Amino acid sequence: MRHGRTPFIIGFLAVPVALYATFVVAAYIQTFQLAFTNWSGLGTIKYVGFDNFERLWNDDLFWRSVGHNLYLLILLPIITIAIALVFAFLLNAGGGSHGGKTRGIFGSKFYRVIFFFPQLMALAIVAVIFGRVFSTDESGMLNGLFPESWSPWLFLADERWALTCILAVMVWQAVGFYVVLFSAGMGSIEQEVYEAAALDGANRITLFFKITIPLLWNTLQVAWVYLGIAAFDAFALVNIMSVDRGGPDGATSVLAMMIYRNAFEYSQAGYASALGVALFFLTLTFAALTLRVTRREAH
Amino acid sequence: MARHDEGVITVGRSRAGTVAANTAGIIFGLFMLFPVYWVLNTAFKPEAEVKSFSPTFLPQSPTLDNFRSALGEELFIPAMINGLIITAMAVAAALVVGFLAALAIARFQFYGRKAIILIVLAVQLVPFLALLIPLFLMLQRAQLTDSLPGVALVYLVLLLPYTVWTLRGFISGIPRELDEAAMIDGCTRAQVFWKIILPLTGPGLVATSVYGFIQAWNEFIIINTLNSPENQNLMAWLLYNQTERGTAWGPLMAGAIITSIPVVIFFLLIQRNIATGLTAGAVKG
Repeated sequence: MRHGRTPFIIGFLAVPVALYATFVVAAYIQTFQLAFTNWSGLGTIKYVGFDNFERLWNDDLFWRSVGHNLYLLILLPIITIAIALVFAFLLNAGGGSHGGKTRGIFGSKFYRVIFFFPQLMALAIVAVIFGRVFSTDESGMLNGLFPESWSPWLFLADERWALTCILAVMVWQAVGFYVVLFSAGMGSIEQEVYEAAALDGANRITLFFKITIPLLWNTLQVAWVYLGIAAFDAFALVNIMSVDRGGPDGATSVLAMMIYRNAFEYSQAGYASALGVALFFLTLTFAALTLRVTRREAH
Repeated sequence: MARHDEGVITVGRSRAGTVAANTAGIIFGLFMLFPVYWVLNTAFKPEAEVKSFSPTFLPQSPTLDNFRSALGEELFIPAMINGLIITAMAVAAALVVGFLAALAIARFQFYGRKAIILIVLAVQLVPFLALLIPLFLMLQRAQLTDSLPGVALVYLVLLLPYTVWTLRGFISGIPRELDEAAMIDGCTRAQVFWKIILPLTGPGLVATSVYGFIQAWNEFIIINTLNSPENQNLMAWLLYNQTERGTAWGPLMAGAIITSIPVVIFFLLIQRNIATGLTAGAVKG
Protein backbone atom coordinates (compact mmCIF):
# COMPACT_ATOMS: atom_id res chain seq x y z
CA MET A 1 0.00 0.00 0.00
CA ARG A 2 2.96 2.30 0.45
CA HIS A 3 4.11 2.99 -3.04
CA GLY A 4 2.89 6.08 -4.81
CA ARG A 5 1.84 7.91 -1.66
CA THR A 6 4.11 10.91 -1.91
CA PRO A 7 2.61 12.49 -5.04
CA PHE A 8 -0.82 12.30 -3.46
CA ILE A 9 0.26 13.82 -0.17
CA ILE A 10 2.12 16.67 -1.85
CA GLY A 11 -0.60 17.24 -4.43
CA PHE A 12 -3.42 17.25 -1.90
CA LEU A 13 -1.71 19.49 0.63
CA ALA A 14 0.18 21.94 -1.57
CA VAL A 15 -2.69 24.41 -2.00
CA PRO A 16 -3.91 24.59 1.60
CA VAL A 17 -0.37 24.78 2.95
CA ALA A 18 0.47 27.57 0.52
CA LEU A 19 -2.71 29.43 1.49
CA TYR A 20 -1.88 29.19 5.17
CA ALA A 21 1.74 30.09 4.69
CA THR A 22 0.65 33.28 2.92
CA PHE A 23 -2.55 34.38 4.55
CA VAL A 24 -2.00 33.26 8.10
CA VAL A 25 1.65 32.63 8.90
CA ALA A 26 3.13 35.40 6.76
CA ALA A 27 0.32 37.73 7.77
CA TYR A 28 1.07 37.12 11.43
CA ILE A 29 4.77 37.68 10.92
CA GLN A 30 3.90 40.99 9.33
CA THR A 31 1.64 41.93 12.23
CA PHE A 32 4.49 41.24 14.66
CA GLN A 33 6.82 43.26 12.49
CA LEU A 34 4.46 46.23 12.19
CA ALA A 35 3.94 46.20 15.95
CA PHE A 36 7.47 47.58 16.28
CA THR A 37 6.87 50.51 13.93
CA ASN A 38 5.00 53.77 14.10
CA TRP A 39 3.48 53.22 10.68
CA SER A 40 0.28 55.14 10.05
CA GLY A 41 -0.97 52.89 7.27
CA LEU A 42 0.49 55.00 4.50
CA GLY A 43 3.96 56.30 3.68
CA THR A 44 7.25 55.38 5.27
CA ILE A 45 7.73 52.80 7.97
CA LYS A 46 9.99 53.62 10.92
CA TYR A 47 10.99 51.15 13.61
CA VAL A 48 10.39 52.44 17.12
CA GLY A 49 11.35 49.47 19.27
CA PHE A 50 8.95 48.71 22.08
CA ASP A 51 7.24 52.11 22.02
CA ASN A 52 3.87 50.68 20.99
CA PHE A 53 3.94 48.12 23.77
CA GLU A 54 4.91 50.75 26.30
CA ARG A 55 2.02 52.86 25.13
CA LEU A 56 -0.27 49.87 25.30
CA TRP A 57 0.87 49.10 28.85
CA ASN A 58 -0.06 52.62 29.93
CA ASP A 59 -3.27 52.78 27.89
CA ASP A 60 -6.25 52.76 30.19
CA LEU A 61 -8.61 51.79 27.37
CA PHE A 62 -6.45 48.76 26.54
CA TRP A 63 -6.76 47.35 30.05
CA ARG A 64 -10.47 48.06 30.15
CA SER A 65 -10.87 46.31 26.78
CA VAL A 66 -8.94 43.29 28.05
CA GLY A 67 -11.19 43.32 31.11
CA HIS A 68 -14.28 43.38 28.89
CA ASN A 69 -12.94 40.49 26.81
CA LEU A 70 -12.31 38.47 29.97
CA TYR A 71 -15.77 39.32 31.29
CA LEU A 72 -17.26 37.92 28.07
CA LEU A 73 -14.81 35.01 28.09
CA ILE A 74 -15.98 33.87 31.52
CA LEU A 75 -19.69 34.65 31.37
CA LEU A 76 -20.57 33.80 27.74
CA PRO A 77 -19.58 30.11 27.91
CA ILE A 78 -20.95 29.57 31.43
CA ILE A 79 -24.35 31.11 30.79
CA THR A 80 -24.76 29.72 27.28
CA ILE A 81 -23.71 26.18 28.18
CA ALA A 82 -25.88 26.16 31.32
CA ILE A 83 -29.02 27.28 29.47
CA ALA A 84 -28.31 25.03 26.48
CA LEU A 85 -27.77 21.96 28.68
CA VAL A 86 -31.03 22.48 30.53
CA PHE A 87 -33.02 22.88 27.34
CA ALA A 88 -31.28 20.09 25.51
CA PHE A 89 -32.17 17.88 28.47
CA LEU A 90 -35.79 19.03 28.29
CA LEU A 91 -35.90 18.29 24.58
CA ASN A 92 -34.57 14.80 25.12
CA ALA A 93 -35.97 13.73 28.43
CA GLY A 94 -38.29 16.43 29.74
CA GLY A 95 -41.50 14.75 28.66
CA GLY A 96 -41.53 12.03 31.27
CA SER A 97 -41.40 8.35 30.49
CA HIS A 98 -43.78 6.24 28.50
CA GLY A 99 -43.51 2.52 28.28
CA GLY A 100 -40.09 2.71 29.85
CA LYS A 101 -38.76 5.17 27.31
CA THR A 102 -37.89 8.71 28.23
CA ARG A 103 -39.24 11.26 25.83
CA GLY A 104 -38.64 14.89 25.04
CA ILE A 105 -41.20 17.56 25.78
CA PHE A 106 -44.10 18.05 23.40
CA GLY A 107 -42.95 19.58 20.11
CA SER A 108 -39.25 18.76 20.56
CA LYS A 109 -38.62 18.57 16.84
CA PHE A 110 -40.21 21.95 16.25
CA TYR A 111 -38.10 23.53 18.99
CA ARG A 112 -34.96 22.09 17.50
CA VAL A 113 -35.68 24.04 14.32
CA ILE A 114 -36.63 27.35 15.92
CA PHE A 115 -33.74 27.29 18.37
CA PHE A 116 -31.47 27.21 15.36
CA PHE A 117 -32.93 30.32 13.78
CA PRO A 118 -30.82 32.90 15.64
CA GLN A 119 -27.76 31.05 14.39
CA LEU A 120 -28.89 31.53 10.82
CA MET A 121 -29.49 35.24 11.17
CA ALA A 122 -26.45 37.25 10.27
CA LEU A 123 -24.88 39.18 13.12
CA ALA A 124 -25.57 42.31 11.12
CA ILE A 125 -29.32 41.63 11.28
CA VAL A 126 -29.24 40.48 14.90
CA ALA A 127 -27.44 43.66 15.91
CA VAL A 128 -29.96 45.85 14.11
CA ILE A 129 -32.91 44.05 15.72
CA PHE A 130 -31.49 44.26 19.21
CA GLY A 131 -30.70 47.89 18.67
CA ARG A 132 -34.49 48.25 18.48
CA VAL A 133 -35.07 45.98 21.47
CA PHE A 134 -32.80 48.12 23.63
CA SER A 135 -33.87 51.48 22.22
CA THR A 136 -33.90 54.09 24.97
CA ASP A 137 -37.26 55.71 24.20
CA GLU A 138 -40.69 54.14 24.30
CA SER A 139 -40.37 52.95 20.70
CA GLY A 140 -37.90 50.37 22.09
CA MET A 141 -39.38 46.93 22.54
CA LEU A 142 -38.40 46.64 26.19
CA ASN A 143 -39.07 50.22 27.19
CA GLY A 144 -42.38 50.03 25.33
CA LEU A 145 -43.43 47.22 27.67
CA PHE A 146 -42.88 49.27 30.81
CA PRO A 147 -45.57 51.63 32.19
CA GLU A 148 -45.21 55.17 30.92
CA SER A 149 -44.62 56.55 34.39
CA TRP A 150 -41.26 54.76 34.58
CA SER A 151 -38.26 56.62 33.38
CA PRO A 152 -36.99 54.66 30.37
CA TRP A 153 -34.05 52.33 30.89
CA LEU A 154 -30.95 53.38 29.06
CA PHE A 155 -29.58 49.89 28.31
CA LEU A 156 -26.76 50.42 25.80
CA ALA A 157 -26.44 54.07 26.73
CA ASP A 158 -25.85 53.20 30.37
CA GLU A 159 -22.17 52.61 31.16
CA ARG A 160 -22.99 50.06 33.83
CA TRP A 161 -25.25 47.88 31.67
CA ALA A 162 -24.06 48.36 28.11
CA LEU A 163 -21.69 45.38 28.11
CA THR A 164 -24.28 43.18 29.80
CA CYS A 165 -26.73 44.02 27.00
CA ILE A 166 -24.12 42.91 24.44
CA LEU A 167 -23.51 39.73 26.43
CA ALA A 168 -27.26 39.03 26.47
CA VAL A 169 -27.40 39.27 22.69
CA MET A 170 -24.38 36.99 22.32
CA VAL A 171 -26.04 34.41 24.56
CA TRP A 172 -29.32 34.73 22.66
CA GLN A 173 -27.58 34.15 19.37
CA ALA A 174 -25.39 31.27 20.50
CA VAL A 175 -27.65 29.28 22.76
CA GLY A 176 -29.83 27.61 20.14
CA PHE A 177 -26.88 26.10 18.34
CA TYR A 178 -25.63 24.52 21.56
CA VAL A 179 -29.09 23.23 22.43
CA VAL A 180 -29.05 21.38 19.10
CA LEU A 181 -25.44 20.26 19.58
CA PHE A 182 -26.00 18.96 23.11
CA SER A 183 -29.28 17.31 22.33
CA ALA A 184 -27.58 15.42 19.50
CA GLY A 185 -24.97 14.30 22.01
CA MET A 186 -27.64 13.32 24.54
CA GLY A 187 -29.54 11.43 21.89
CA SER A 188 -26.56 9.15 21.42
CA ILE A 189 -26.48 8.17 25.10
CA GLU A 190 -28.05 4.73 25.44
CA GLN A 191 -31.53 4.65 26.91
CA GLU A 192 -30.53 1.64 29.00
CA VAL A 193 -28.09 3.75 30.99
CA TYR A 194 -30.87 6.09 32.06
CA GLU A 195 -33.25 3.24 32.74
CA ALA A 196 -30.75 1.41 34.90
CA ALA A 197 -30.07 4.55 36.91
CA ALA A 198 -33.79 5.26 37.21
CA LEU A 199 -34.40 1.74 38.54
CA ASP A 200 -31.81 2.47 41.18
CA GLY A 201 -33.93 5.43 42.23
CA ALA A 202 -32.16 8.33 40.49
CA ASN A 203 -34.33 11.38 39.91
CA ARG A 204 -34.13 13.89 37.04
CA ILE A 205 -31.45 15.99 38.66
CA THR A 206 -29.24 13.03 39.54
CA LEU A 207 -29.61 11.67 36.00
CA PHE A 208 -28.56 15.02 34.63
CA PHE A 209 -25.45 15.48 36.74
CA LYS A 210 -24.29 11.89 37.11
CA ILE A 211 -24.98 10.57 33.63
CA THR A 212 -25.66 13.26 31.06
CA ILE A 213 -22.84 15.67 31.92
CA PRO A 214 -20.01 13.12 32.20
CA LEU A 215 -21.03 11.41 28.97
CA LEU A 216 -21.21 14.75 27.14
CA TRP A 217 -17.82 15.93 28.34
CA ASN A 218 -16.18 15.96 24.90
CA THR A 219 -18.97 17.99 23.38
CA LEU A 220 -18.89 20.42 26.30
CA GLN A 221 -15.19 20.92 25.73
CA VAL A 222 -15.78 21.77 22.07
CA ALA A 223 -18.56 24.18 23.04
CA TRP A 224 -16.31 25.90 25.56
CA VAL A 225 -13.61 26.50 22.97
CA TYR A 226 -16.02 27.81 20.33
CA LEU A 227 -17.70 30.17 22.80
CA GLY A 228 -14.32 31.34 23.98
CA ILE A 229 -13.43 32.25 20.41
CA ALA A 230 -16.69 34.16 20.08
CA ALA A 231 -15.93 36.04 23.30
CA PHE A 232 -12.53 37.09 22.00
CA ASP A 233 -14.09 38.47 18.88
CA ALA A 234 -17.37 40.20 19.79
CA PHE A 235 -16.39 42.85 17.27
CA ALA A 236 -19.44 42.72 15.04
CA LEU A 237 -21.99 43.29 17.79
CA VAL A 238 -19.98 45.97 19.58
CA ASN A 239 -19.36 47.70 16.27
CA ILE A 240 -23.01 47.90 15.30
CA MET A 241 -24.90 48.00 18.59
CA SER A 242 -22.86 50.01 21.05
CA VAL A 243 -23.17 53.73 21.49
CA ASP A 244 -20.26 55.49 19.83
CA ARG A 245 -18.76 52.09 18.83
CA GLY A 246 -17.21 50.82 22.03
CA GLY A 247 -18.90 53.38 24.24
CA PRO A 248 -20.45 54.97 26.16
CA ASP A 249 -17.05 56.18 27.29
CA GLY A 250 -15.29 52.91 26.48
CA ALA A 251 -17.75 50.81 28.47
CA THR A 252 -18.11 48.20 25.72
CA SER A 253 -14.70 48.51 24.08
CA VAL A 254 -13.09 45.15 23.29
CA LEU A 255 -9.64 44.45 21.83
CA ALA A 256 -10.92 43.72 18.34
CA MET A 257 -12.79 47.03 18.32
CA MET A 258 -9.62 48.88 19.35
CA ILE A 259 -7.62 47.14 16.63
CA TYR A 260 -10.15 48.05 13.96
CA ARG A 261 -10.44 51.69 14.96
CA ASN A 262 -6.69 52.20 15.27
CA ALA A 263 -5.99 50.48 11.97
CA PHE A 264 -8.70 51.90 9.76
CA GLU A 265 -9.89 55.10 11.46
CA TYR A 266 -7.10 56.62 13.54
CA SER A 267 -4.32 55.76 11.03
CA GLN A 268 -2.33 53.98 13.73
CA ALA A 269 -1.47 50.74 11.95
CA GLY A 270 1.61 50.24 14.13
CA TYR A 271 -0.31 50.52 17.38
CA ALA A 272 -3.14 48.40 15.98
CA SER A 273 -0.59 45.67 15.19
CA ALA A 274 0.73 45.78 18.75
CA LEU A 275 -2.84 45.29 19.95
CA GLY A 276 -3.10 42.39 17.48
CA VAL A 277 -0.02 40.80 19.05
CA ALA A 278 -1.59 41.18 22.50
CA LEU A 279 -4.80 39.57 21.25
CA PHE A 280 -2.77 36.72 19.71
CA PHE A 281 -1.10 35.87 23.01
CA LEU A 282 -4.33 36.18 24.97
CA THR A 283 -6.06 33.75 22.61
CA LEU A 284 -3.19 31.27 22.79
CA THR A 285 -3.16 31.45 26.59
CA PHE A 286 -6.87 30.72 26.62
CA ALA A 287 -6.45 27.76 24.26
CA ALA A 288 -3.57 26.31 26.26
CA LEU A 289 -5.43 26.73 29.56
CA THR A 290 -8.59 25.14 28.16
CA LEU A 291 -6.66 22.14 26.89
CA ARG A 292 -4.88 21.69 30.21
CA VAL A 293 -7.91 22.07 32.43
CA THR A 294 -10.26 19.91 30.41
CA ARG A 295 -7.65 17.23 29.88
CA ARG A 296 -6.93 16.99 33.59
CA GLU A 297 -10.59 16.69 34.47
CA ALA A 298 -11.20 14.09 31.83
CA HIS A 299 -8.92 11.62 33.60
CA MET B 1 -34.16 -5.33 28.05
CA ALA B 2 -37.56 -6.52 29.16
CA ARG B 3 -40.52 -4.67 27.85
CA HIS B 4 -42.33 -2.44 30.31
CA ASP B 5 -45.95 -1.44 30.32
CA GLU B 6 -46.73 2.22 30.39
CA GLY B 7 -46.24 3.66 33.83
CA VAL B 8 -44.37 0.72 35.23
CA ILE B 9 -41.15 2.65 35.21
CA THR B 10 -41.70 6.20 36.28
CA VAL B 11 -38.04 7.19 35.96
CA GLY B 12 -38.49 9.47 38.92
CA ARG B 13 -40.73 11.82 37.01
CA SER B 14 -43.90 13.46 38.15
CA ARG B 15 -46.68 14.85 35.99
CA ALA B 16 -46.04 18.29 37.51
CA GLY B 17 -42.41 18.08 36.41
CA THR B 18 -43.50 17.31 32.88
CA VAL B 19 -45.87 20.27 32.84
CA ALA B 20 -43.13 22.55 34.16
CA ALA B 21 -40.71 21.27 31.52
CA ASN B 22 -43.19 21.93 28.72
CA THR B 23 -43.96 25.41 30.03
CA ALA B 24 -40.28 26.26 30.21
CA GLY B 25 -39.89 25.02 26.65
CA ILE B 26 -42.70 27.22 25.37
CA ILE B 27 -41.40 30.34 27.14
CA PHE B 28 -37.88 29.75 25.89
CA GLY B 29 -39.19 29.11 22.37
CA LEU B 30 -41.11 32.40 22.38
CA PHE B 31 -38.02 34.18 23.63
CA MET B 32 -35.98 32.77 20.73
CA LEU B 33 -38.67 33.50 18.17
CA PHE B 34 -39.67 36.99 19.24
CA PRO B 35 -37.06 38.97 17.28
CA VAL B 36 -37.77 36.88 14.18
CA TYR B 37 -41.45 37.63 14.58
CA TRP B 38 -40.67 41.30 15.02
CA VAL B 39 -38.69 41.42 11.78
CA LEU B 40 -41.57 39.80 9.87
CA ASN B 41 -44.13 42.04 11.53
CA THR B 42 -42.22 45.22 10.71
CA ALA B 43 -41.46 44.21 7.15
CA PHE B 44 -45.13 43.81 6.24
CA LYS B 45 -46.33 47.01 7.92
CA PRO B 46 -46.84 50.24 6.01
CA GLU B 47 -44.61 53.08 7.14
CA ALA B 48 -47.25 54.85 9.23
CA GLU B 49 -47.82 51.70 11.30
CA VAL B 50 -44.09 51.12 11.84
CA LYS B 51 -43.71 54.62 13.23
CA SER B 52 -46.87 54.44 15.32
CA PHE B 53 -46.35 54.66 19.07
CA SER B 54 -49.02 52.07 19.76
CA PRO B 55 -47.52 49.05 18.01
CA THR B 56 -49.86 46.27 16.89
CA PHE B 57 -49.18 42.56 17.04
CA LEU B 58 -49.99 42.09 13.37
CA PRO B 59 -49.89 44.52 10.46
CA GLN B 60 -53.33 46.18 10.20
CA SER B 61 -53.02 46.63 6.47
CA PRO B 62 -50.22 44.30 5.31
CA THR B 63 -48.22 45.55 2.38
CA LEU B 64 -45.34 44.51 0.15
CA ASP B 65 -44.20 48.11 -0.28
CA ASN B 66 -41.19 47.60 1.95
CA PHE B 67 -39.98 44.71 -0.19
CA ARG B 68 -40.47 46.69 -3.36
CA SER B 69 -38.62 49.62 -1.88
CA ALA B 70 -35.71 47.42 -0.72
CA LEU B 71 -35.44 45.68 -4.10
CA GLY B 72 -35.60 49.03 -5.82
CA GLU B 73 -32.59 50.39 -3.92
CA GLU B 74 -29.75 51.24 -6.24
CA LEU B 75 -27.19 48.78 -4.90
CA PHE B 76 -29.44 46.02 -3.56
CA ILE B 77 -29.50 43.71 -6.58
CA PRO B 78 -25.78 44.19 -7.37
CA ALA B 79 -24.97 43.46 -3.72
CA MET B 80 -27.04 40.27 -3.90
CA ILE B 81 -25.25 39.14 -7.04
CA ASN B 82 -21.84 40.00 -5.55
CA GLY B 83 -22.69 37.98 -2.46
CA LEU B 84 -23.74 34.98 -4.53
CA ILE B 85 -20.60 35.08 -6.68
CA ILE B 86 -18.24 35.43 -3.73
CA THR B 87 -20.02 32.74 -1.73
CA ALA B 88 -20.10 30.31 -4.65
CA MET B 89 -16.40 30.82 -5.38
CA ALA B 90 -15.36 30.48 -1.74
CA VAL B 91 -17.53 27.42 -1.01
CA ALA B 92 -16.61 25.58 -4.20
CA ALA B 93 -12.90 26.20 -3.63
CA ALA B 94 -13.17 25.21 0.04
CA LEU B 95 -14.87 21.94 -0.91
CA VAL B 96 -12.24 20.94 -3.48
CA VAL B 97 -9.21 22.03 -1.48
CA GLY B 98 -10.70 20.88 1.81
CA PHE B 99 -11.68 17.44 0.53
CA LEU B 100 -8.21 16.74 -0.85
CA ALA B 101 -6.52 17.99 2.31
CA ALA B 102 -8.86 15.91 4.45
CA LEU B 103 -8.06 12.85 2.33
CA ALA B 104 -4.34 13.35 2.84
CA ILE B 105 -4.73 13.79 6.59
CA ALA B 106 -7.21 10.96 7.08
CA ARG B 107 -5.68 8.34 4.80
CA PHE B 108 -1.91 8.85 4.98
CA GLN B 109 0.62 8.87 7.77
CA PHE B 110 3.42 11.28 6.97
CA TYR B 111 5.98 13.55 8.55
CA GLY B 112 4.41 16.83 9.64
CA ARG B 113 0.86 15.50 9.72
CA LYS B 114 0.38 16.43 13.38
CA ALA B 115 1.78 19.91 12.73
CA ILE B 116 -0.72 20.47 9.93
CA ILE B 117 -3.62 19.38 12.10
CA LEU B 118 -2.45 21.69 14.86
CA ILE B 119 -2.14 24.67 12.52
CA VAL B 120 -5.59 24.01 11.06
CA LEU B 121 -7.05 24.07 14.56
CA ALA B 122 -5.02 27.05 15.75
CA VAL B 123 -6.23 29.16 12.85
CA GLN B 124 -9.78 28.69 14.01
CA LEU B 125 -8.86 30.14 17.38
CA VAL B 126 -7.30 33.40 16.34
CA PRO B 127 -9.62 36.37 15.79
CA PHE B 128 -9.24 37.24 12.16
CA LEU B 129 -9.30 40.94 12.86
CA ALA B 130 -5.70 40.84 14.03
CA LEU B 131 -4.74 39.86 10.47
CA LEU B 132 -6.80 42.43 8.63
CA ILE B 133 -3.97 44.94 8.09
CA PRO B 134 -1.46 42.50 6.55
CA LEU B 135 -4.23 40.89 4.49
CA PHE B 136 -5.22 44.24 3.14
CA LEU B 137 -1.60 44.97 2.22
CA MET B 138 -1.11 41.59 0.52
CA LEU B 139 -4.25 41.86 -1.54
CA GLN B 140 -3.37 45.39 -2.45
CA ARG B 141 0.00 44.26 -3.76
CA ALA B 142 -1.73 41.55 -5.80
CA GLN B 143 -4.25 44.17 -6.98
CA LEU B 144 -7.08 42.13 -5.50
CA THR B 145 -8.58 44.74 -3.19
CA ASP B 146 -11.96 46.02 -4.27
CA SER B 147 -12.54 42.83 -6.25
CA LEU B 148 -14.75 39.80 -5.72
CA PRO B 149 -11.99 37.13 -6.09
CA GLY B 150 -9.93 38.88 -3.41
CA VAL B 151 -12.73 38.61 -0.86
CA ALA B 152 -13.48 35.04 -1.95
CA LEU B 153 -9.84 34.12 -1.35
CA VAL B 154 -9.96 35.45 2.22
CA TYR B 155 -13.24 33.62 2.85
CA LEU B 156 -11.67 30.43 1.51
CA VAL B 157 -8.95 30.71 4.15
CA LEU B 158 -11.63 31.26 6.80
CA LEU B 159 -13.74 28.29 5.70
CA LEU B 160 -10.92 25.78 5.24
CA PRO B 161 -10.22 24.77 8.85
CA TYR B 162 -13.81 23.77 9.49
CA THR B 163 -14.12 22.08 6.10
CA VAL B 164 -10.93 20.05 6.48
CA TRP B 165 -11.74 19.09 10.04
CA THR B 166 -15.29 17.99 9.36
CA LEU B 167 -14.47 16.08 6.16
CA ARG B 168 -11.57 14.40 7.93
CA GLY B 169 -14.10 13.10 10.47
CA PHE B 170 -16.32 11.74 7.70
CA ILE B 171 -13.45 10.12 5.79
CA SER B 172 -12.04 8.51 8.94
CA GLY B 173 -15.46 6.93 9.40
CA ILE B 174 -15.14 5.03 6.11
CA PRO B 175 -13.44 1.68 6.79
CA ARG B 176 -10.01 1.32 5.24
CA GLU B 177 -10.88 -2.26 4.31
CA LEU B 178 -13.08 -0.79 1.61
CA ASP B 179 -10.07 0.95 0.02
CA GLU B 180 -8.01 -2.21 0.24
CA ALA B 181 -10.70 -4.41 -1.24
CA ALA B 182 -11.10 -2.04 -4.18
CA MET B 183 -7.37 -1.94 -4.78
CA ILE B 184 -7.19 -5.73 -4.75
CA ASP B 185 -9.92 -5.66 -7.37
CA GLY B 186 -7.65 -3.53 -9.53
CA CYS B 187 -8.60 0.04 -8.67
CA THR B 188 -5.80 2.59 -8.62
CA ARG B 189 -5.49 4.80 -5.57
CA ALA B 190 -6.95 7.73 -7.49
CA GLN B 191 -9.95 5.60 -8.47
CA VAL B 192 -10.46 4.62 -4.84
CA PHE B 193 -10.60 8.27 -3.84
CA TRP B 194 -12.84 9.24 -6.73
CA LYS B 195 -15.21 6.28 -6.89
CA ILE B 196 -15.43 5.14 -3.28
CA ILE B 197 -14.46 7.81 -0.78
CA LEU B 198 -15.95 10.82 -2.57
CA PRO B 199 -19.48 9.38 -2.87
CA LEU B 200 -19.41 8.10 0.71
CA THR B 201 -18.39 11.55 1.96
CA GLY B 202 -21.51 13.05 0.34
CA PRO B 203 -23.33 14.00 3.57
CA GLY B 204 -20.17 15.61 4.87
CA LEU B 205 -19.80 17.65 1.70
CA VAL B 206 -23.39 18.83 2.03
CA ALA B 207 -22.95 19.78 5.68
CA THR B 208 -19.72 21.67 5.10
CA SER B 209 -21.01 23.49 2.06
CA VAL B 210 -24.09 24.67 3.94
CA TYR B 211 -21.93 25.82 6.81
CA GLY B 212 -19.60 27.54 4.38
CA PHE B 213 -22.49 29.18 2.60
CA ILE B 214 -23.87 30.59 5.84
CA GLN B 215 -20.49 31.89 6.95
CA ALA B 216 -19.57 33.49 3.64
CA TRP B 217 -23.03 34.89 2.98
CA ASN B 218 -23.28 36.46 6.43
CA GLU B 219 -19.78 37.96 6.56
CA PHE B 220 -19.50 41.72 6.33
CA ILE B 221 -16.45 43.01 8.20
CA ILE B 222 -13.83 41.79 5.75
CA ILE B 223 -15.74 42.74 2.63
CA ASN B 224 -16.53 46.12 4.12
CA THR B 225 -12.84 46.76 4.79
CA LEU B 226 -11.53 45.49 1.46
CA ASN B 227 -14.10 46.73 -1.04
CA SER B 228 -15.73 49.95 -2.20
CA PRO B 229 -19.53 50.41 -1.95
CA GLU B 230 -20.08 48.99 -5.46
CA ASN B 231 -18.52 45.65 -4.50
CA GLN B 232 -20.28 44.91 -1.22
CA ASN B 233 -22.52 41.99 -0.35
CA LEU B 234 -26.03 42.21 1.09
CA MET B 235 -24.92 42.24 4.73
CA ALA B 236 -22.66 45.21 4.20
CA TRP B 237 -25.42 46.87 2.17
CA LEU B 238 -27.83 46.34 5.06
CA LEU B 239 -25.54 47.97 7.58
CA TYR B 240 -24.69 50.83 5.31
CA ASN B 241 -28.38 51.48 4.82
CA GLN B 242 -29.00 51.38 8.52
CA THR B 243 -26.40 54.02 9.29
CA GLU B 244 -27.47 56.16 6.34
CA ARG B 245 -31.20 56.08 6.79
CA GLY B 246 -31.54 55.41 10.49
CA THR B 247 -35.22 54.83 10.95
CA ALA B 248 -36.52 53.39 7.67
CA TRP B 249 -37.19 50.14 9.54
CA GLY B 250 -39.73 48.73 7.11
CA PRO B 251 -37.49 48.51 4.03
CA LEU B 252 -34.53 47.57 6.22
CA MET B 253 -36.35 44.60 7.73
CA ALA B 254 -37.68 43.60 4.31
CA GLY B 255 -34.07 43.68 3.12
CA ALA B 256 -33.06 41.56 6.10
CA ILE B 257 -35.70 38.97 5.19
CA ILE B 258 -34.62 38.78 1.56
CA THR B 259 -31.03 38.48 2.77
CA SER B 260 -31.88 35.60 5.07
CA ILE B 261 -33.97 33.60 2.60
CA PRO B 262 -31.14 31.60 0.98
CA VAL B 263 -29.70 30.64 4.35
CA VAL B 264 -33.07 29.56 5.73
CA ILE B 265 -33.83 27.46 2.65
CA PHE B 266 -30.47 25.70 2.90
CA PHE B 267 -30.99 25.13 6.57
CA LEU B 268 -34.47 23.67 6.19
CA LEU B 269 -33.20 21.32 3.48
CA ILE B 270 -30.62 19.75 5.73
CA GLN B 271 -31.88 20.49 9.23
CA ARG B 272 -32.50 16.83 10.00
CA ASN B 273 -28.81 16.11 9.67
CA ILE B 274 -27.37 19.38 10.81
CA ALA B 275 -26.27 18.27 14.25
CA THR B 276 -24.55 15.16 12.88
CA GLY B 277 -22.84 17.20 10.20
CA LEU B 278 -21.71 19.91 12.55
CA THR B 279 -20.29 17.57 15.13
CA ALA B 280 -18.85 14.82 12.96
CA GLY B 281 -15.41 16.39 12.84
CA ALA B 282 -15.34 17.48 16.42
CA VAL B 283 -16.54 14.32 18.09
CA LYS B 284 -14.60 11.82 16.08
CA GLY B 285 -11.47 13.85 16.96
